[in-house]
Amino acid sequence: MTINRREFIKANAIAAAAAVAGVSVPAVASNLITSSDITKLKWDKAACRFCGTGCSVNVGVMDGKVVATHGDIKSPVNKGLSCVKGYFLSKIMYGKDRLTTPLLRMTNGKYDKEGEFTPISWDQAFNVMAEKANDALKKDGPEALGMFGSGQWTVQEGYAAVKLMKAGFRTNNIDPNARHCMASAVGGFMRTFGIDEPMGCYDDLEAADAFVLWGSNMAEMHPILWTRLTDRRLSAPHVKVAVLSTFEHRSFDLADNGMIFTPQTDLAILNYIANYIIQTGRVNKDFVSKHTNFRLGETDIGYGLRPEHPLEQKAKNNGKTKGSSTPIDFDEYAKFVSTYTVESVSKLSGVPEHKLKELAEMYADPKIKVTSFWTMGFNQHTRGVWANNLVYNIHLLTGKISTPGNSPFSLTGQPSACGTAREVGTFSHRLPADMVVKNPKHRAIAEKIWDLPEGTIPAKPGYHAVLQNRMLKDGKLNFYWVQCNNNMQAAANINEEAYPGYRNPKNFIVVSDPYPTVTAQAADLILPTAMWVEKEGMYGNAERRTQSWYQMVEAPEGAKSDMWQVVEFSKRFKVEDVWPEELIAKKPEVRGKTLFDVLYKDASVGKFPLSEIPEDRLNDESRDFGFYIQKGLFEEYASFGRGHAHDLAPYDRYHQERGLRWPVVDGKETKWRFKEGSDPYVKPGSDWDFYGHKDGRARIFALPYEPAAESPDEEYDLWLSTGRVLEHWHSGSMTQRVPELYKAMPDALVYMHPDDAKKRNMRRGDLVKLISRRGEVQTRVETRGRNKPPIGLVYMPWFDASRLVNKVTLDATDPLSKETDYKKCAIKIVKV
Amino acid sequence: MTQKHHKTPEYHVASLVASPILAQLDEVKAVITAVEGAEIHAVSDEGKIVFTVEGTGFKDLDKKIDIIRVHKGILNVSPVYHQVLDESGDDNAEEQYSEVTTKKE
Repeated sequence: MTINRREFIKANAIAAAAAVAGVSVPAVASNLITSSDITKLKWDKAACRFCGTGCSVNVGVMDGKVVATHGDIKSPVNKGLSCVKGYFLSKIMYGKDRLTTPLLRMTNGKYDKEGEFTPISWDQAFNVMAEKANDALKKDGPEALGMFGSGQWTVQEGYAAVKLMKAGFRTNNIDPNARHCMASAVGGFMRTFGIDEPMGCYDDLEAADAFVLWGSNMAEMHPILWTRLTDRRLSAPHVKVAVLSTFEHRSFDLADNGMIFTPQTDLAILNYIANYIIQTGRVNKDFVSKHTNFRLGETDIGYGLRPEHPLEQKAKNNGKTKGSSTPIDFDEYAKFVSTYTVESVSKLSGVPEHKLKELAEMYADPKIKVTSFWTMGFNQHTRGVWANNLVYNIHLLTGKISTPGNSPFSLTGQPSACGTAREVGTFSHRLPADMVVKNPKHRAIAEKIWDLPEGTIPAKPGYHAVLQNRMLKDGKLNFYWVQCNNNMQAAANINEEAYPGYRNPKNFIVVSDPYPTVTAQAADLILPTAMWVEKEGMYGNAERRTQSWYQMVEAPEGAKSDMWQVVEFSKRFKVEDVWPEELIAKKPEVRGKTLFDVLYKDASVGKFPLSEIPEDRLNDESRDFGFYIQKGLFEEYASFGRGHAHDLAPYDRYHQERGLRWPVVDGKETKWRFKEGSDPYVKPGSDWDFYGHKDGRARIFALPYEPAAESPDEEYDLWLSTGRVLEHWHSGSMTQRVPELYKAMPDALVYMHPDDAKKRNMRRGDLVKLISRRGEVQTRVETRGRNKPPIGLVYMPWFDASRLVNKVTLDATDPLSKETDYKKCAIKIVKV
Repeated sequence: MTQKHHKTPEYHVASLVASPILAQLDEVKAVITAVEGAEIHAVSDEGKIVFTVEGTGFKDLDKKIDIIRVHKGILNVSPVYHQVLDESGDDNAEEQYSEVTTKKE
């Protein structure tokens, strides 16, 4: 009877939620669980497809379709919870406009850059791609080839792509969209610690006495971590929360000390806190003298704009020395920050003095364990690396680092920005395990692991994300493959750089995506892509946790995974097509082989037989290539980091665990790095050991406040900040297909202060134009709602493909990390 | 000519955990119970509210959850479990049963 079925599933739902909340409910469900009625629904674990938190979800499959998901109670990350995005995970794969066949722009049956998208076979697609890639190679060499990848690539997809580009085609022109979100964090880690990624972990959430959010709206962007933070705050009354932002958002609801600051002045606030710690005599002298040293950084380093831009002409040190620094001592550092007084910083930032003092005291008090969280407010910043360096300064001056609750913690936006983009090294300057292409020793290590002749990997860093768009426009990058991102919507200043680049007649643009995104529609060839549990893969989250999942359902017929596309494409090239004779002569046995043979099948990637895949498991790619390719790619990749403080467990173990935090040594994960007793790499007797640097010391940097690239003036009189909203994840290409999410937040509005609206004679709901020096976009005014900007600043989310706010933004970047500052530019708003 | 749209009769149930501002616990509880199809099953010592929402479709469910989620007294609402029951025919309905994965191993 229907009523019984309803009662049954309702009881299950209650039991699941009660378990998560840690309460008991009347035992209605327990007897039913063992009922023989269970089910054709097959449950399996997977990492969530969305943000960098790395929740584990249980995925319910019936009749070859994902029909249910719920938070995984066994996951140490989300402990059974899910967020609004994760809640609708089962539906992201079943949008009506899912692509199932390659589409090529054609006229009269032939490729034509101005033609209409026409269905073709995969064979035809690879033919035209190979022809175009070969043309570009012959004409201008490997530098004419490029790829734009993703922090949403699985570990194996990223690794397969890096190998094809850096070793196969011998170009470093591969960069991930993580350039837009995490590059400054990476720069900060490498500069301060000499090794990437947070030292702490999510366990800090239950151990800290105070939390500081720097340019991070966790309540909306990392809801599960926010739930854990909320739990800590509510269960331990002494716990305090400070939130800093350029506008008021939902995280302020929980804030004991909420602060709105003028854009860019976070740099001054950070230096003020350091000054306060010194002035009040609360420097942890023992820690500082044993584990740190001080450096004075180069200043006036420009804004990463095109060299002819007036700001670059004016900058004194935007050349090769921009990342350099010289040793100083503690007294010189103290003198450097002494000008950042509470009075001067309050005036500059607009934050009242008592609020600044309260914040500084939280860090200074040796009894308070502080965890700092930040995301794009720091990273998408023309001084993003500096902002990261400056927050580490505070934790280092007080020794509040690498112990439970004491944690400077960089959060990530994408599910595998850490695991794939950073750890695999899909950046234009990187190799796996934090190695870089310009270091000859690092190249030699990679060439040895890859069993390739010396000199295969080019030494020169390739084009980074922003430069790729500029080089496309300039006609220097002619064969370009975009996978797993929506950069035509995500990149800044698309009007002047990206779109002209994609449509430049000299270029051939390939976009792989499950859906016809804005980027796909700007391409010449679209490849339909399998997603999430339609393939086997791994993600690595913000706390160094690597997680795996099996393929659970078949992709729609015609759609193929990114990894399959890359590896299958490699079959189209003989080594002689792409390598010069002198390189082949160093390893003559590769002659006549394809890149598929050399890079994958005959390399260690190909050594795991199909028999290692459990028989009841799908694995379309492996069964197609004839070997367990996901395991082969992972194990080869993992050999880069084992024994080098990036140790990963054997592949099969990840299928048993809800992820493990690296380094995994002797089968054990590491929660807090750099601290004796919790990190096996720390030298015995050293207490703390920042082993990323040879001297075992972390760096404290003297770096000043410098103004933003563009600030409001008389004509363009408002700051514009862009970002995300809870319901839509990044560019919305997945979530906008879920009708429920679309309904909740259908259009990107511009949020503005009621006084600013009044001053311009505007009312809530009015149609307006946002105009910058670069372009304009139409939208409607919102003066209420969850985001409350101060006077002089407006906020607009960027998920809406019909209202592309990035036509307006400035493509100024951090000159060190090359990450775009999406948070600051000057605009005006006029009524339409 | 437009095709007649057939709507599958569906029964949806979701369970959620809400973290209210403690001072507003009673108010939040009243807001939840005022939503049609919503039911509170337990409140933890820390004030976390375990509740279910029943409805006829994703949209229906979403609308109801949204009413609760945007309330000022709520810091957080976390969905935990969701299942759809296709009630278009009783024949295969037995197959819709879900295994409770929260069962201790």
